[in-house]
Amino acid sequence: MPPAHRGGTRSRRRGRGTERLAPYVLVAPAVLIIVVLRLYPLLLGVNFSLTGDGERNGTVVGLDNYLELFRDPLFRTALGNVGLLVLLLPVAVAIPGLLATFIYLRVPGHRFYRSVYFFPAVLSPVIVGAIFNLLLAFDGPLNAILGSVGLAPVDWLGDPDVAMFMVVGVHVWATFGMALVVFLAGFATLDSALLDAARVDGASLPQVIWHVIVPSLSRTIQFVFVTTMIGMLTSMFGLLFVMTSGGPEGSTYLPEYYIWIQQGQMNRPALASAASTALFVIMLVVGLLQIKLLKRAGKED
Amino acid sequence: MSRIPLGRWVVAVPMSLLALATIYPLLFTVNVAMKTRREYILDRFSLAGDLRWENITTAWTSVGMGRYFANSVLVVTCSVVLLLLFGSMAGFALSQLRFRGSSALFLGCLAGLFVPFQVIMVPLARIMADGGLIDTYPGLVLVYVAQFLPFTVFLMTSYYKTIPPDIVDAARIDGNSVYGVYRRIMLPLGTPALLSVGILNALFCWNDVLMSLVMMPSADHRTLMVGVTSLRGQYSNDIPTFASGVLIAAIPVLVVYLFLQRQIADGVAAGSTKG
Repeated sequence: MPPAHRGGTRSRRRGRGTERLAPYVLVAPAVLIIVVLRLYPLLLGVNFSLTGDGERNGTVVGLDNYLELFRDPLFRTALGNVGLLVLLLPVAVAIPGLLATFIYLRVPGHRFYRSVYFFPAVLSPVIVGAIFNLLLAFDGPLNAILGSVGLAPVDWLGDPDVAMFMVVGVHVWATFGMALVVFLAGFATLDSALLDAARVDGASLPQVIWHVIVPSLSRTIQFVFVTTMIGMLTSMFGLLFVMTSGGPEGSTYLPEYYIWIQQGQMNRPALASAASTALFVIMLVVGLLQIKLLKRAGKED
Repeated sequence: MSRIPLGRWVVAVPMSLLALATIYPLLFTVNVAMKTRREYILDRFSLAGDLRWENITTAWTSVGMGRYFANSVLVVTCSVVLLLLFGSMAGFALSQLRFRGSSALFLGCLAGLFVPFQVIMVPLARIMADGGLIDTYPGLVLVYVAQFLPFTVFLMTSYYKTIPPDIVDAARIDGNSVYGVYRRIMLPLGTPALLSVGILNALFCWNDVLMSLVMMPSADHRTLMVGVTSLRGQYSNDIPTFASGVLIAAIPVLVVYLFLQRQIADGVAAGSTKG
């Protein structure tokens, strides 16, 4: 349907040709940029991952990069950490979900809580990482508190068994406000008659959450699950870079950090591309799996 | 509003503690930035003797934070202007004009949402290098525009869908070209959405470190967040100056948040509920 037929001014319009092209002219910059700088690189990267690095640059090496990738202990640690993120995901979703519930139910001071909780979400991961570098330093304030109550200091960012938990913890600290706002937007669509009915029936708060809020907000919960997971996989770089640089002993690697190291420091772009492709596949699988699981859980309710 | 029993006051206690845990790290940093080194070493928590700005000045001048700050302002401004321009043009066309292939083009734009920068970093750096755009301001601007355009197009399209098509028809009957309708009607009508999306994009670009790190290898072109990462090495023994540098980079965001938190939250919420 050409747009010229919509108005009644056909006869007065000269240059009908350019008018008909107008929609294409308007979308052209956006489409060109997105296709050339986002979609095409995705294909290029997959292609790239099948070629060699260094002296084998440009030659097709099949799946060699992938084999090397999965033999690399650093990449395996990165995958293990992805597993850890998946395990911690329900906590990272439940915290903002619960807080949003309380704010929705108007606990005293709900407006204040809302703006305070959201605030770290606007800070750069670099800023957040730097602030927690101060707080978690071995001779820093947190250990000073531990010392004053007679506890031994903990090497928060230097102990391989502790560091990853600290980085994830800080990430959750910094991002739960984002999920909180999304939950509140979901609550805006909730039918308050359901809550009134539950109240009349004498339901307790946990019952209300489980039987009214969770089923009604299933779409929002689904959305938060997927975006929180994607956030964990793709927006921790700043924290990792500033807080631990992947250490101690490579214990805080995530695929995104691995890609950056292989590309920037090790000069292994093809290997980095293989890791990129693996990260993309992980994101697809995790995303689709979550949607499927959550849909099924929603149906059983 | 429904009142659910079970102490609304009981939850206020953990909620206040959490609020404290959210705000305290920043207050701590502000306090440290105002201290002398000696004060910090003697007692981590004591309040700064009085407001001192020397640390801020040292951080600003010695590692070139001023230069990085200017770089960030330049790159973020250009990126946001282009994002809003291209995003609103496409959003208007995709929501209000009927043309062949429009839904395919919309889906193409949306597909960009599911491609994180980390996944395309290596080939994108190569494309930029081939185009002579690596380590240049236009190169980084282009990368930011590409990164946040799918989201911008998506939000502008959903916003313009709420505007009745009669307005476009009426403006056309009055003799406006399609471009005239865009410039005289759609752009002004889109102001609230442009404001929200613009602020969000500005925050995203300002806060980025990875794209800037990859696309701007030379020290002169660094943006502020990359500059902050180099502070740590330089001032590992001078925590107050380090804290000051961090604060310099955080202040613009804090100011924006204080005045425009509603718009920021609305933008985030719109991104999650539309469509």
